Amino acid sequence: MSRGRVDVRTDLEQVFRGHYARVVAVAARVLGSRDQAEDVAQEVFLSFGRSSVPADEAGGWLTVAATHTALNLLRSGRRRSSREEIAGDGPAVAPDVADLVITREERSSVRAALARLPHKQAAALVLRHSGLSYAEVAAALDMSPGSVGTTVRRAESHLLEELNRHASPE
Amino acid sequence: MRHPSEGVLRRLVDEPAGVTDDDRAHVASCPTCLRALESARADAQLVGSALTASGAADVDTDAAWARFSATPAPAAAPFRPAAAPRRGWRTTVRRPAVAALSAVVLLTGAGVAAANDWLPIFETERVEPVEITAGDLVQVPDLSAYGDLQITEEPDPEQVADAATARELTGLEVPEVTDLPGGVTGDPTYQAAGVVSATFTFSADKAAQAAAAEGEDLPPVPAGLDGSSLRLEAGPGVAAMWAQPTGVPTLVVARVGAPTVDASGGVEFETVQDYLLSLPGLPPELATQIENLSQEDGTLPLPVPAELVTTSEADVNGEDATVLTSRNGLFAGVVWVEDGVMTGVAGSLSADELLSVARGLR
Repeated sequence: MSRGRVDVRTDLEQVFRGHYARVVAVAARVLGSRDQAEDVAQEVFLSFGRSSVPADEAGGWLTVAATHTALNLLRSGRRRSSREEIAGDGPAVAPDVADLVITREERSSVRAALARLPHKQAAALVLRHSGLSYAEVAAALDMSPGSVGTTVRRAESHLLEELNRHASPE
Repeated sequence: MRHPSEGVLRRLVDEPAGVTDDDRAHVASCPTCLRALESARADAQLVGSALTASGAADVDTDAAWARFSATPAPAAAPFRPAAAPRRGWRTTVRRPAVAALSAVVLLTGAGVAAANDWLPIFETERVEPVEITAGDLVQVPDLSAYGDLQITEEPDPEQVADAATARELTGLEVPEVTDLPGGVTGDPTYQAAGVVSATFTFSADKAAQAAAAEGEDLPPVPAGLDGSSLRLEAGPGVAAMWAQPTGVPTLVVARVGAPTVDASGGVEFETVQDYLLSLPGLPPELATQIENLSQEDGTLPLPVPAELVTTSEADVNGEDATVLTSRNGLFAGVVWVEDGVMTGVAGSLSADELLSVARGLR
């Protein structure tokens, strides 16, 4: 009795299975690499396992934690080379819109641009594109809900400037 | 009416219900806004597409769970499953700051400064990582407006092959962990760092300029203060660090020469301190750093996220130790000083686990 597992949440497996794919997708949005995203997810669930976050708030918490952790990793320079992205990652094609074909090179510059954005702006962008509502993004980042749209729009403009391609009319 | 802002248009793309009826009605009948809305929508789609990583969708959750559950869970401290002994929370402002600063110096001296962003601390209500950057770690109070601040000796932290090399370089033994806590695996990396020292020389001229910039006169300078110096020193240090595959440290064990402040030039340290504190326009943060400078406690002032960390006391084999815990318990550190040498353990572990490591060090 002296040694055994302590403080392991009884709901951990259920939360893990229910949210794992989503957490990986959030981290992959930042890192562009599934392997690294899975490392981040493992870390985030480890933190979750030690926390007392209520299970019904797990989704939001995990999304925010994955975003911050992945952004930190992206900036830390410990990120592996783009080897994995190059290996086998064809361009993502959204069939209806020819403009949405994003080349590998562009993918890589998007991530470089993401790493250069102010942390809060980058986090707001990733959280929004991960499906959090404006109110949730505002709560997670301690912003006013009214400023989320402006912050996200600004981040998108920055990224597209890096890509040198705007969908805007001019 | 005025055109709604870009932010409102952006929200209209995702959450039309979150936009006021007036704004919606305006946009629907305004060609300019409709164009801007379309452009926001197209940009959003393009960025969404650029951020989508192919292959991220088909993860193998079963395999991931198997990997996750194979990672050893944290083990209870064998002899103390309950909370660590506490003699009450620190009540003064000064000591916690001092203790926290010491912990940071400890890590700095040991060369962990290189591990940028090393510690994500999550709060349960609002998730925010705390990024401690190398720049934060090596700060001495920025007194450059009031004199010359010179780093006289760089610590040159470096990674070394093993504990023996670290000892050879610094003369300090790397503390040996007898029993690794659950979740900490693999071999540690070793760091060694030399002494870091800085000298601050007070300049009445510079201080007068700083005061003038505030539109104030310099208070009378006590005799002998102009040109007198403070010497700040810490190190050498050694550390062993265990990390997760992503590079985030799980456990750091370090030992470092306790930092000291030394006044020379014939002026008492308190005189320098009091005078600096009396200067007009002194930024409050700098004032706190200066207040925390002390000769007896042997500390360097450094910024720490005090609002995220609580401190308490514990006993480590007869020494009074300070325990630092992030408010949600995801990160902790234990620090104590013995014969002018500071030893500390820190990591993404509970305070109990770290105390267990601390008490088992050889």
